[in-house]
Amino acid sequence: MEYLSTNKIAIVDLTNSKVSDQELDKELVKEKIGGAGITTALYEEYQKEDPVILGTGLLTGTLVPASALSIITAKSPLTGKVCHAPITLYAGIELKYSGFDYVVIKGNSSKPVYLWIHDGIADLKEANEIWGKDVWESTDFIRELMGDPLIQILGIGKGGESGSDFGQVCINYWASGDRWGFGKLFGQKKLKLVALRGMSLLEIADPEEFVRECKELLSTIKKGSFAGKKGIGELSAALGEDIRKWLEPIVHRHLSCFNTSFPTNTFVFLDEEPKRLKETDKEEPGFLITDLYGLLGFKKLGLSASDTCALLRESAKYGMDAVAVAELSQKAGKKKPDEIKKTLSGLKGALESLGKGKFSPWCPSFNLSTDEWERRQAVAYLFGIHPIFALMSPELSEEKLIELANLGTGLAFTAETLDKVIADILK
Amino acid sequence: MGIKVDPKKCVSCMACEMACGYHRDDGFALLSSCIMVTRGREKRDYSAVVLKEEENLVIARPEGLEVRKLGSGGEADQSKGKEDASAKPLLLREPCDLCSDREDGPLCLQFCPADAISLG
Ligand code: SF4
Ligand code: SF4
Repeated sequence: MEYLSTNKIAIVDLTNSKVSDQELDKELVKEKIGGAGITTALYEEYQKEDPVILGTGLLTGTLVPASALSIITAKSPLTGKVCHAPITLYAGIELKYSGFDYVVIKGNSSKPVYLWIHDGIADLKEANEIWGKDVWESTDFIRELMGDPLIQILGIGKGGESGSDFGQVCINYWASGDRWGFGKLFGQKKLKLVALRGMSLLEIADPEEFVRECKELLSTIKKGSFAGKKGIGELSAALGEDIRKWLEPIVHRHLSCFNTSFPTNTFVFLDEEPKRLKETDKEEPGFLITDLYGLLGFKKLGLSASDTCALLRESAKYGMDAVAVAELSQKAGKKKPDEIKKTLSGLKGALESLGKGKFSPWCPSFNLSTDEWERRQAVAYLFGIHPIFALMSPELSEEKLIELANLGTGLAFTAETLDKVIADILK
Repeated sequence: MGIKVDPKKCVSCMACEMACGYHRDDGFALLSSCIMVTRGREKRDYSAVVLKEEENLVIARPEGLEVRKLGSGGEADQSKGKEDASAKPLLLREPCDLCSDREDGPLCLQFCPADAISLG
């Protein structure tokens, strides 16, 4: 695959500690587009070895607005179905720039390992020194070891290592949209983390037209209903739950995922003056809220914004899905932060908020019907568009994305191709 | 005339960096951008937008602008405090040419979703 691609798939066999790579066949792209279309095909090809597939969208890491997304596809230990979880922030694009469009991780390792993917090379490394460390410590360890603070990490903490159903694959220090227990799967495979870094170059079939279209699309988006708004509080308010007054006193600032107009993430300061502009000398002053439902879950228990965010931080350090922690704490009648913190080890129970489809319920429904929501998610997960922003921006229409895909790759995708791929991944 | 960044509006999305990378390489890459968001202090939520100009390194920090003179070898005057290590590669790159060969002008400005970049 020549354009918008690194043209490489890594095949990582954990059982035999072997890594190989293969070309990304243009015919596969023509047939399955990218993202969830191709991760699903790769999952099916390797399903006997219980694979975890990492994949980029067709347009991930480009100037297409909100092209921030990569995905994890695997069989959820929670639902028993093949599901997809979003990889956002900067980690989604780092996968593509690390030199691989897709990574198949199959089998189980007998000892703790991590996968270091950088500049077109995938290396399996021994992880004895980080197995047992929390998510934050592991991220710090790898970045210090490699001397590069920009390495992006998909990693687990004690939650996933201990086989909790709610173990989450986190992104760097923060919660992710993994609501499928993929952390448990990493733990079973003895895969502590995947570290990503790279400086690839993606060629474009028709660069001028592609970039012109991206520019036009961005200017339409900038006139849309979310223009000028920022942060998780505004997102929540748009969904009918106004938490702005509750959260605002601890907000430090709002942060976007790569090239995404609306910042869906909000950094709060818990141990530092929130309005401080200068760099703090505190090592860990706060937390980046990346998951609205974890936040709302703890708020529902009557907790203050500071206590809520401190629990989100503890959940992320432990590598646990905060939504599950909040829901199961509520069921058990636990409302005090200390009591809730103690539930992190050994958390068990059935979740009402469990996702029922293929795509992570991390992304709100925006009052769409299940079918409409699923289709929109499918489009986002194929092209590599931020799943929440895809729902906020009707301007990122299917027609526009197909047009951009054609300009970018020189291929001839049609509405029929898209319909067929969506039907395939939803079946 | 130069590129100005308002750090209070910036949401650290990296679109300017990718736009500049495209301007340099005609493809998508971050290898040659002369504008960059520092991301090395993630846990502290501290970042700046750094621009390499012909003679200066301009650092738009949340608390204010800092301009450092570049030496004849392209290195920045370090006397005013430590630079984020993630911005170091910038010193080796071509300085901003204001996208002078582009009819529509600076590409970073056109791709900033937060209108944090202006020409002034
Ligand atoms: S004006 Fe052009 S060369 Fe200068 S920083 Fe922006 S994109 Fe790069
Ligand atoms: S494009 Fe604008 S908002 Fe994004 S990082 Fe650059 S200056 Fe900040």
